[in-house]
Amino acid sequence: MRDSHIGQIEEWAEFVRQNPKEWREIHTKFFNSIFINQKRVYKKLTNTKEGKSALIEFYGIRNIRGFSDLTDKI
Amino acid sequence: MKRDVSDKNILNNFCLKFCRILSKHVEYIVVSGFVAIASGRTRGTEDIDIIIRKMSSDDFRELHKDLIKEGFICIQSFQTGEIFNYLKDKSSVRYCLKNQPVPQIELKFKKDKLDDYQFKTKEKLPLTDLDVWFSSVNMNVAFKEELLKSPKDIEDARYLRLVYREKINEKEIEKIKKMIKEMRL
Repeated sequence: MRDSHIGQIEEWAEFVRQNPKEWREIHTKFFNSIFINQKRVYKKLTNTKEGKSALIEFYGIRNIRGFSDLTDKI
Repeated sequence: MKRDVSDKNILNNFCLKFCRILSKHVEYIVVSGFVAIASGRTRGTEDIDIIIRKMSSDDFRELHKDLIKEGFICIQSFQTGEIFNYLKDKSSVRYCLKNQPVPQIELKFKKDKLDDYQFKTKEKLPLTDLDVWFSSVNMNVAFKEELLKSPKDIEDARYLRLVYREKINEKEIEKIKKMIKEMRL
């Protein structure tokens, strides 16, 4: 399983070397989708008290002033 | 054609914005996973590790003020003195953008001669298309293979070895691994 994963990484590295423009577009879509999705889930969780508590705990947030979404509706 | 912030992904823009502020105040290097990720590796991450030279509390206060002005916050504390003490005690502090807990920057002070060597051998990596300072490819390979060693780190090292094969210097990697054994293990 791990060996085939390493194989995929090796293939991708070769693709990056051979396709200097194409890889960047795929890479950008991949990372943007991760953070756009994270933002969506974050927003959804801020709608409930339990969700806010979970976010504070999960991210170890001690500076609550920086997160008005987590304080203004509790 | 000059590529600008708008061409880049969310993580790269975040890194660029933070490093532009850092560079006005202190010497820094981006290290570890983001070196591989910015070079094209596709895997999940939520943070970017950055080492900075040690600063006085007054100089750090100015840096922190600038970061706040540009929309960053420290997740652990809003008090500059407390944040500085975390850094001074060899802990890391995490910064993110207001109301966005990820991505994060994990910031720490340089701690030993190995870090000095990381600063001495820092490089810009055109493949990343980011005008920021990274610790060297050889340094990252050595750290990942000798110290960090998780499956993710081994994969990162393999990726760096392939994508930067012209930069790989086995003698240099061995030298760094020896330094890691002496100073970190």
